Amino acid sequence: MNGGIVLNWLASTPDFAVPYALAALGLIICERAGVLALGAEGLMLVGALAGIGAQIVIGQPAVSLVLAMLAASVVSVLFAVMVIWLRVNQVIAGLALVFFCQGLTALVGSMAEWTNHATEGIGAMGLWPLSLLPGVGKLFEQNAMVWLTPPIFGAVAWFFARTSAGLRLRAVGENPQAADAAGIRVTAWRFAAVLAGSALVGLAGAYISVVSTKLWIAGMTGGRGWIAVGLVIFARWSPWKALAGALLFGCIEALIPQLAAAGVQLPQYFVMMTPYAVTLGVMVWVALSRRGADEEPGALGQPYVREERR
Amino acid sequence: MPNALELTGIRKSFDGFAALTDARFSARWGEVHALLGENGAGKSSLMNIAAGLYAPEAGQLLVDDNPVRFTGPRDAAKHRIGMVHQHFKLVRPFTVAQNILLTAPPPAEFQSHGERLREITRDIRNKAAELGFDIDPSKRVDALSVAEQQRVEILKVLLAGARILILDEPTAVLTDQEAARLLQTVQGLARKGAAVVLVTHKMADVKTYADRVTVMRGGRTVATLQPSETSVAELVKLTVGESIAAQGFQPPAAPRGPVRLSVRGLRTPASPEGRRVLDGVDLDLHAGEIYGLAGVGGNGQGELAGAIMGLEGEPTEGEMRLEGHGDLKTMPASVRRSIGIAAIPADRYGLALAGGLSVAENYAIGRVHTGCYGPVWRLRRNRIQSDTQEAVRVFDVQGVRSVAQKAALLSGGNAQKLVLAREFGKSPMLVLAHSPSRGLDVRASAEVHARLRAARDSGAAVLLISEDLDEVLQLADRVGVMTRGRIAGEFAQPADRQAIGQAMVDHG
Amino acid sequence: MADASLMADMAVPSSTSSTPPKASSAVAHEAPRNAQPVQPLARRRYALEIRQHMPWRWQALILAAALLAGFAISAAILIAAGVPADELANEFVMQTFFDGQNFRAVLFQAAPMILVGLAGCVAFRARFWNLGLEGQMIWGAIGATAVSMWQIGPENLRLPLMFIAAICCGLLWVLGPAWLKLKLGVNEIISTLMLNYMAANFLLHLVYGSWKDPKDNFPYSPQFRLFERLPELGAGIGSSILLAGVVALLAWWLASVSRMGLYLRFVDANPRVAHASGVPVRRTIYGAVLLSGAMAGLAGFAVAAGQEGRLTQAFYQGYGFSGILIAFLARNNPLAATVVALLVAALFVTGRSLQVFYQVPFSMVQLIQAVIVVCVASSDFFIRHRLRRVGGEAVQ
Repeated sequence: MNGGIVLNWLASTPDFAVPYALAALGLIICERAGVLALGAEGLMLVGALAGIGAQIVIGQPAVSLVLAMLAASVVSVLFAVMVIWLRVNQVIAGLALVFFCQGLTALVGSMAEWTNHATEGIGAMGLWPLSLLPGVGKLFEQNAMVWLTPPIFGAVAWFFARTSAGLRLRAVGENPQAADAAGIRVTAWRFAAVLAGSALVGLAGAYISVVSTKLWIAGMTGGRGWIAVGLVIFARWSPWKALAGALLFGCIEALIPQLAAAGVQLPQYFVMMTPYAVTLGVMVWVALSRRGADEEPGALGQPYVREERR
Repeated sequence: MPNALELTGIRKSFDGFAALTDARFSARWGEVHALLGENGAGKSSLMNIAAGLYAPEAGQLLVDDNPVRFTGPRDAAKHRIGMVHQHFKLVRPFTVAQNILLTAPPPAEFQSHGERLREITRDIRNKAAELGFDIDPSKRVDALSVAEQQRVEILKVLLAGARILILDEPTAVLTDQEAARLLQTVQGLARKGAAVVLVTHKMADVKTYADRVTVMRGGRTVATLQPSETSVAELVKLTVGESIAAQGFQPPAAPRGPVRLSVRGLRTPASPEGRRVLDGVDLDLHAGEIYGLAGVGGNGQGELAGAIMGLEGEPTEGEMRLEGHGDLKTMPASVRRSIGIAAIPADRYGLALAGGLSVAENYAIGRVHTGCYGPVWRLRRNRIQSDTQEAVRVFDVQGVRSVAQKAALLSGGNAQKLVLAREFGKSPMLVLAHSPSRGLDVRASAEVHARLRAARDSGAAVLLISEDLDEVLQLADRVGVMTRGRIAGEFAQPADRQAIGQAMVDHG
Repeated sequence: MADASLMADMAVPSSTSSTPPKASSAVAHEAPRNAQPVQPLARRRYALEIRQHMPWRWQALILAAALLAGFAISAAILIAAGVPADELANEFVMQTFFDGQNFRAVLFQAAPMILVGLAGCVAFRARFWNLGLEGQMIWGAIGATAVSMWQIGPENLRLPLMFIAAICCGLLWVLGPAWLKLKLGVNEIISTLMLNYMAANFLLHLVYGSWKDPKDNFPYSPQFRLFERLPELGAGIGSSILLAGVVALLAWWLASVSRMGLYLRFVDANPRVAHASGVPVRRTIYGAVLLSGAMAGLAGFAVAAGQEGRLTQAFYQGYGFSGILIAFLARNNPLAATVVALLVAALFVTGRSLQVFYQVPFSMVQLIQAVIVVCVASSDFFIRHRLRRVGGEAVQ
């Protein structure tokens, strides 16, 4: 493999990594508050569709991305109402959400005739002066969303580690009884976490459609939402580890077209299995290496009705 | 002197069950007022109302003679009421300072998170010094011992400004020495002007530390007295509604038999910090003997019980030789049951009964694998039903309208009797009883104890694990003390309570 | 900052404070009645409680109301999508059940639907979220096709061998996640789902690759021979429905009659209690999960050898969620699952005709399924909880 291929590979990695990263971050916000958000796959589709729709109608990428975040948040209200107010089992609610979104986006997409309608994306921005370097400079020519992602991560990580609000949110996820007794409104915080987290998940989906592929096809997220759920477990609910994991996945996915370009012959469908196989491998690795789930939010997945057995 | 806290005419029910009916309580400034009653008398519910966690259906709440209505615990905190619950409301992965930050009132002017943490840390150190506590605010709560966590809870409510302090069964998780220290501390707080409410079922604590005592029974307030003018016997009578002869120790009918279970060097794997929950347990259980294992909770009792029952998290080293059967460790749980090991776990609805399933199913599951209820391909449900009905009659399980009803509808005492019916149905050769009378009233406890004695007298080896030293001293023929994962000492009856207490001290 | 002095003056507001209404909390419904678990906080003047028990009549009523709500919402969506309102009743009821050909189509469709529904029931009874139904279906069909392609066994035994191969393949594809969960604690939701995607890709690899029918250029395997297809029972009704019926009876027997049914009830209610009571938990869970995989594999066989007559590329789509939906609505009861599966099959058939006549995309079916699950799941709230007004003015 010559240097050009390696460079191309690394330069294309962020494009693949961003959706995983943003989706995982959104999920971390939800799960740190104690809500198991399995509906990521569905919310990504909503974001993707809304983003493309906005792009077709309005044509401003920044606006489209924001509208996509809004759309995903709005849809997540349904999920939030189900699991936080109505105390529905979070696995069932998550699955129902995914299928609801899949059906809804396929329907709306075909009725509005947005399928396969190509749009303009956003251009690449160079990170001056590093982008001026010969050869390696290509690594630093990425689109604006790529450059925005690390600051977003920084903001969320700072929120959790260094603000009182972040402390409260974590308390809600670790021990809602204690938070409640301390006067923290568990319901309200969880609602906020779901809405905020879903916005990020929607953004991840919108990135795929608006920035990466610049069009919409039903079901285009192809399981990335589920992979993000696995990624969060792998990252032990830490934002920076999730970013690292997303980069890893991005690397692997970016490798595939590069290998093809290099003339390496691989059976097409086996290659397409890679992200799923890697996710599975990662889950097994996590299970093998952990000594009890100390970083898992203590009340994850339990509606705030359940008490520890005494 | 005005009342600091007063509740009158309180009524409260949960899902149709009346927990409180016309309950009254009042506490004055500067006194330690004990709220005495058996489990289920309603004392915790009443105090939870005072602390703003429950809303009463009827009745009035007054703070400093002003009527108030709370919409939540924050509200109560604003009125300077603070409650230390039996099950601590602490976020375990957070530090002490972070936990206290959660409940601290918001600052008057804007402060950054870091500044607030620093200020709270300072306040914690000052207050702790004032009370004589040794607490490091930067330590994580899950690294603290139970007694230390309790001190954090107390600091929490004091730093939130509480002047009315409610402590719910605070000495349940402490050794005698720690309990004495705690109660002396709160007595000191009362002397400085605070109102302290001590929710307890321990008569001794009431007599020693309380200025007044209110007795509750069955959701009602029965009497308010001065402990110095009452005897323990009279308190007991008020609490349970009748005189129960104080059960003293009854020696066994026959001398004990040979060793039935011999435990040697039982160890669990070490944690990353090098600590082991079970650290070399050596124990001999004889047939026809009740061995009482005393000790404050958290020293490995649960794990020892689990090891004998065959639960997951098996110890990795050591052996448990059962007479005539070899090492228990190689035996799956189902086999242990069929050879006659009966277990009454502490966690009734976590380990013994499936609340959502019927009484009949819970009864039958103990024996179904023997084939007495039909072969694998067919369950004989009518046999199960008749057997259960018979067992319910023999063991006097009350509240069973039909054996098909859910087990969760049984009250604590009757649920325990159902467990006994299941376990004692076939004469067991080894009985493991872990906190068997926890949550039971005096009458039900007496029945359970009688069954344990009967099992011993018919030749079973009985291991009684209990955090209630009174229960151990009443029942056991030999007493062992468990601390830090091993047996620290053994005592023959009649045992010296002080010596046992001393042996329990060095823990955690 | 917090006032640390005990002698400070107290401010005593005398009425409700300004704290906004907060969330209500309630307790696990398995706690015994008179152990006072954490109870509701006031929320305005309502409190949320957990019910201990609700009579069957009421549960059925609430379920019916939820289904009605679900249908109403679905009808609204369909009308918004362009189906005339008066045609809805016609399409759904008349055409489906009273038109002979459509009814046969429903029965055809019902067979694999019943099988995946049962597969869902059996797995969920063991608290195992088998979301890999589609992957197991795929492998079941692949196994059966392999027997056909490699002509294993004499002609009169071919079909039974395909049947066995389908069961084995479906079972093996779920063995991995089952072992991973029981041995290592790997979350089965993710593992079974990932295997779905992998199976789907492998299927594409086969039908676009070495197993592609050389006669035309479509991505499917060569047609099965006549003796490799499930025979018809007469009147155009396939024998796959009979197969499904037999499996339903098997599942009912397992759940209600056999000893394992009791074991499963305990594992579902409380795995710790099950283990402590001597239930062979591991064996029970493995048994249920492997059976579930086998049933799903059988569903693949039913589609491949019963409906399609060959291995196609997208035959499995929609069955995964349908299986979960059926198990959820039927509360894991095999007989109820059979009935629900028939209704879902009717939904599928109607969906296809709506697609043909009104250009409504087939994803509508998925949406309707999701709407119904949302309605029923939400209605559970009323079965398990009760809202009560509490704490009016201090009166006594």
